[in-house]
Amino acid sequence: MAMQKCQSDFARAVRSPDWAVPHGVTSHNSDAPRERFAVYRNNVMVGLVSALEARFPATRKIVGKDFFKGAAKLFAAMQPPRSPLMMFYGDEFPSFLADFEPAREVPYLPGVARLEAARTRAYHAVDAKPLTPAALSGSLADALAGMRFILHPSVEIVASDYPVVTIWAMNSGENDLAPVTDWRGEDALVSRPRFDVEVRRLPPGGKTFLQNLAAKSPLGEAAAAALAGNPSFDLAANLAALFAGLAIEMTNQPNEAPLP
Amino acid sequence: MRVSQLPLSAGASFKPEHFAAISAAPQPLGFFEVHAENYMGGGGPPHAQLGFLREHYALSLHGVGLNIGSTEPLDRAHLARLKELCDRYQPECFSEHLAWSSHGGIFFNDLLPLPYTEANLTSVIDHVDEVQSTLGRRLLLENPATYVCFQQSTIPETEFLAAIARATGCGLLLDVNNVFVAARNHATSASAYLEAFPLDLVGEIHLAGHFETIDGEGSPLCIDAHGTPVVEDVFALFDSVIASTGPFPTLIEWDNDVPDWPVLRAEALAAQERLDRVRLVRAAPAAA
Amino acid sequence: MITKTELTAATLAAAFALLAVPVSAQEMGGPKTGKEKCYGVALKGQNDCAAGAGTSCAGTSKVDYDSSIWKYVPTGTCETMKTPNGMGSLKPGKS
Repeated sequence: MAMQKCQSDFARAVRSPDWAVPHGVTSHNSDAPRERFAVYRNNVMVGLVSALEARFPATRKIVGKDFFKGAAKLFAAMQPPRSPLMMFYGDEFPSFLADFEPAREVPYLPGVARLEAARTRAYHAVDAKPLTPAALSGSLADALAGMRFILHPSVEIVASDYPVVTIWAMNSGENDLAPVTDWRGEDALVSRPRFDVEVRRLPPGGKTFLQNLAAKSPLGEAAAAALAGNPSFDLAANLAALFAGLAIEMTNQPNEAPLP
Repeated sequence: MRVSQLPLSAGASFKPEHFAAISAAPQPLGFFEVHAENYMGGGGPPHAQLGFLREHYALSLHGVGLNIGSTEPLDRAHLARLKELCDRYQPECFSEHLAWSSHGGIFFNDLLPLPYTEANLTSVIDHVDEVQSTLGRRLLLENPATYVCFQQSTIPETEFLAAIARATGCGLLLDVNNVFVAARNHATSASAYLEAFPLDLVGEIHLAGHFETIDGEGSPLCIDAHGTPVVEDVFALFDSVIASTGPFPTLIEWDNDVPDWPVLRAEALAAQERLDRVRLVRAAPAAA
Repeated sequence: MITKTELTAATLAAAFALLAVPVSAQEMGGPKTGKEKCYGVALKGQNDCAAGAGTSCAGTSKVDYDSSIWKYVPTGTCETMKTPNGMGSLKPGKS
């Protein structure tokens, strides 16, 4: 039991900067080596903050490095990792930012952070061969309408009331930084057809269309649902976005013979 | 029998930013080492790159999250991920640390120290046994870089490591920089530590850079930062080890402020030269 | 009178016909995509076994947060990308 207590004391003290050095922790020159113990405290915090800095570079650019570091430290203290897989640390950081009062004056920040978190998940997603439009070119329209699809494992939709794709692109070096003129919301399609993670702006109705496809609705029904929700839904534009992002993995239509 | 299947030559930490340079031409290195946890995602570039390395070089998997020094049970899900990775890539070597990194469900993302007591010895032995039987392969356990000691410790670190290896059949990973850093931090002798170290159980050597500062009492304090070249004192300790044992698979680690590939490669080649030199000396007939 | 489904089925043929033409990312209004040399853009591995850059015994890991004394304000590119309501006014403490 003594060793369990020793480790719990160490664990708690490492996460509590104001606590005394745990009993039994010594050095050749001190019975309570505060600065030496601080190496562990600092290392834990520096490691977590750097993981967030690496995962959310555009978010950091938007608020500046000091603000970001302050927020990241707070998040790390309140929501430390629960898994040794640091590549996924920070999945909850966007929600934290959404409730973080000092960030309230940058209302699009959580959306940009959600986009960045989705990009990392896409980067590490399971590999799958995307479907090409050519594979469907021989199908009749009626058959197409009844087809069901599986979204590629890397696909995520990030919906926002703010133009997060535009803002992300300006802060990730994809586009030049400039004042945003159109403040209408944008939904992002994040996908990784092969090695590169791609971010696309979904056309109107695209979110509903994709969500229906993801729920295994046939293509025709998914398009109808999207049209019902948004009269300006353009099927051609949405399909083009899907295939450009190669966001569809394969057809899943048990009643049909395999496609050529 | 050799303690690890890695070649007796120098290797380097693999950093993804070096992939373009490394894959552009064959590299004169014996092996690459990666941190296992960075390859526990489902797919994407990390696995594509690791697959390339696997195809062209000997491979060492170095775990940083298994929590072997914990007083809590091992994380079975993590161990299963590790097994999957080992089964998929069949590395020549798998190593982990004499340290703990998770407690009470929280991952600390750091290698934290433990007191060397009989009770901890028993639990580390159990953990190493579990790892080796799950993975179906031998583990190399690495000596840690430490900044503090524990009043509760009753067993010297070298004896603690030797006892684990004796009980489990695991091998050891000798991190010479950690030996230097810990000796400096605890005002002890690095060469005395190496004399007491069971070198016959070593399957790999690590070399890395550190930086030195001072602690609250004004004494030297070395931080194991892996962000600079290996210092000459650490190379000298390395020379003294291989002079008595012969060459080991030797890794240059570089994790922070990672330089361009040619710099890291040159550092690994400097280690290779030392291995070659000792090989020549040992092959030469004894002088009169 | 046509049903929604029929409408969609008819549109589908046209939609797929359009796909025969290569689609550029720019037309989609999406950001330009990168090249796939070297197995994609390399993200650095997040797990390692070294003390993090900047770790020392001198720094402090203090993270006390009291919203009334939070000392940072967003000072990055958000200054360029002001919302139509401006940066908003931030009152100290919880409102």
